Amino acid sequence: MIHLLKKELSELLNKQMLLGLLLSFILIILFGSIMTSSVTETVDDTGEVHIIDQDQTNFTEQIKTHLEQQGYTVLIINENETENFESELSAHAWSDAVVLPEGFTDCLLNQHQLCQIQSLTELKTTSSIGIAFGNTGSAEIVSSAIKEILSETYLVDELSFIENPVEVTPYTIANGKIVQASSTALIGSLSMFDQLMPLILFLLIILTAQMIISAVATEKMDKTLETLLSSPVSRSTIICAKMLAALITALIYVIVYGSSFFIAMLFNVDNAADNINIAEAFTGLMNTQDALHTLGLQISFWGWIGVIAQLFLTICISLTASMILGGLVEDAKGSQTASMPILIFTTFPYILSMISDIRNMTSPVKYLLYCIPFTHTFIATGCLRFHNYGLFWGGMIYQLVFLAVIAFAALKLYQSDLLFTHQFASKKNKQS
Amino acid sequence: MELALDVQHIAKSYGKKQAVKDVSFQIHQGEIFGLMGMNGAGKTTILRMLATLLRPDSGDAFIAGNSIVQTPEKVRACITYLPDEAGAYRTMTGKNYLQFIAGLYFKDEKQQKECFSLGEEICGLGDALQQKINTYSRGMTRKLVLARTVMPRPKLAILDEPTSGLDVLNSLDIRKIIRQCAEQYGTAFLLSSHHMQEVATTAHKAAIMKDGVFLAEGSPQELLQQYQAETLEEVFEKVVRNS
Repeated sequence: MIHLLKKELSELLNKQMLLGLLLSFILIILFGSIMTSSVTETVDDTGEVHIIDQDQTNFTEQIKTHLEQQGYTVLIINENETENFESELSAHAWSDAVVLPEGFTDCLLNQHQLCQIQSLTELKTTSSIGIAFGNTGSAEIVSSAIKEILSETYLVDELSFIENPVEVTPYTIANGKIVQASSTALIGSLSMFDQLMPLILFLLIILTAQMIISAVATEKMDKTLETLLSSPVSRSTIICAKMLAALITALIYVIVYGSSFFIAMLFNVDNAADNINIAEAFTGLMNTQDALHTLGLQISFWGWIGVIAQLFLTICISLTASMILGGLVEDAKGSQTASMPILIFTTFPYILSMISDIRNMTSPVKYLLYCIPFTHTFIATGCLRFHNYGLFWGGMIYQLVFLAVIAFAALKLYQSDLLFTHQFASKKNKQS
Repeated sequence: MELALDVQHIAKSYGKKQAVKDVSFQIHQGEIFGLMGMNGAGKTTILRMLATLLRPDSGDAFIAGNSIVQTPEKVRACITYLPDEAGAYRTMTGKNYLQFIAGLYFKDEKQQKECFSLGEEICGLGDALQQKINTYSRGMTRKLVLARTVMPRPKLAILDEPTSGLDVLNSLDIRKIIRQCAEQYGTAFLLSSHHMQEVATTAHKAAIMKDGVFLAEGSPQELLQQYQAETLEEVFEKVVRNS
C-alpha cells in the first residue's frame, strides 16, 4: 500500500505542480487580503448614520441620542442653508445621508402630518453588490428611529400616524449632479450591462484559456505541433489561427450563455420596470432614463465602441497568455494546472469589481490591480459612467502595450527551443 | 547527384549535457541515410535541428542549399518531418488530414489535389480514408502519417523511428514506401532507427552514434566489411562496445 501510495504521490506532486501551487498560494494570500480589507472597510461604514440636520431641534438631537444608544455612530452636519447636497456628501466622503428639513419637528410633533425627509445616495459604482455593501441605509435607520421615539416618548393617539410618520423622498447623486430618483431603480436599469458584461467576460477568459492550453498541450503530446512547426507556414500564422479558432468558439459559447442570461434578466427587469414606472407615476420621481441622462451615467456610442475594444483586447491577452502557458506544458498533467495563473488573475479583479469600487481603493492595492490587464475591462463601464476617462483610455493603452509584449514573447517562444526542451538555449547561433 | 543535405559541424547542448558534438555528414538526392544509436545517443536532436525545431549551438546544415540557421523558413519549404510516435488529428478523417497537410505545402488547388492523390496512393488505406483517424490501428495511422510526409515530394524527408511499435508486415510496407519514394521522386531520406535490419535493407548509407558523435559511417556493405561482421547488429555491438 505504502509502496503504491509513494508512486502515486511522486506522479501527482511533480516540480511543475508544486511551483504552480506555490504561485497560487502567494497570489491567493495577496488578493485574499485585499478582498478582506475591502469588505472590512465597507462593513465598518455600515455602522454609521449620516444626517444633514436643517431643523436643529431637541427632537432631532433626540434622534441622534436614540441612534447612538442603539450602537450607531451618528455623523451630523448642522446646515440651515445648504441645498448643495452633492458637495456636502463629497466633502465628508459619505455614500449616503438623510436630510431632516427645516420645520420637520413642527410637522411631526405639532401638525401630526406625513412629514417629508430626503434620502441622498451617491452612486460611485454600478454594482448592486458594491452599493449594498457601501450604502449605510441612513434613511431607513432614521425612519425606524423616529417611529420608535414617537411610540415610546410622545404619546400620540393616532396609530396610523405612528406607523407611518415620515415619507422618504429618494435623491440620487452621481458625477456631481443630483436628481430626484431612486438609486435602486437606476442601478436596476444599468445592471443588465454592468453586471452581465463582467460575468460574460469572466466566462470568456476562462473558456478561451482552457481551450487554448488544452489544444496546444494535446498537439504537443500527439506531436502534431512538431509537424505544424516544421511545415512551410509561418509561426505567427500558426499562433493566430489557433487563437482565432478559440476566439470564435468562445464567442459561440458567450452568445449562447449571454443570450440565456439576457433573456432571464430581461424578464425580471421588465417586471421591475413596470413596478418602477407605477411608482414614478405616483411619487413624481424622475423617469429612469431621464435621470440617467441628467446624471451623465449613460454611455455614448463611442464609449460602447471603446468597451467592446477593451473586451476584444482582453480576450486577445488571455489567448496569447494561454498560448505561452500551453507551449510550456510538458505533459497532460501540466495542462490541467497551466491555466491557474489566468484563473487567479481573472477571478480576483472580477470579484473585487463586483463587491467594491476598485477606483477608490487605497493606492498600492489599486495600482496592483491596475497592473492586471483584465481589471481594466471589468471596470470599463464604471469608468465611462463616472467620467473617469483618463483611467479608461489609459487602461486600454496599457492593454495594447501588454498584448504587444506578450504576443512578442509568444512568437519568440514558438521560434525557440524552449517549446521542446523547456530549457533556455545558449546564444551562440542566432536563428532568424 | 545533387546534394540534398550538407551537415557541417553541428553541436547542441541541453544545459550541461552535450547531446550532439560536432557532427558532419551529407545526403544526396534519392539517398536514404540511416542513423543508428542507443537511446540518448543524439539521433532525435539531430533530426529536430534539421527540422528547424531546435537551433544548433554551433555549426550549420544546408538543405537544398538553404541554411537551417539563417533561413529556416526556406528550409521548411523543402523538408517534411515525421516525429517518433507522431499522431494525427484524431477527429479528422484520413482524407481530410491528407487534404489539410496538402494545403500547408501548396497554395495552388491543382497542386494540392496532386499532392493529396499521391498521399492517397502511397498510404494504400482505400475506403478507410473516409473514416475518422481515431478508429485507425497503429499501423494504419503510421502509414497515413508517412504518406503525408512523402506526398509533398520534399527534397529531404526526416523520419524519426518510422516503424517503431509496428508489426512485421506493417514495417515491411513502410520500408517499401520509403524505398519507392526515394527511387521514383528522388526524395532524400534521413531516418533514425533502432532496427539494424531496417537500416541494412533500406538505407544506402548509415551512421552509428553514441554520446552525440558518429562512431562509424558508410554504406551497410562498407560497414560490414570494415568491421568484418555478418550483420549490422554485430557491427553496432563492436562499434559501441569498443568506443
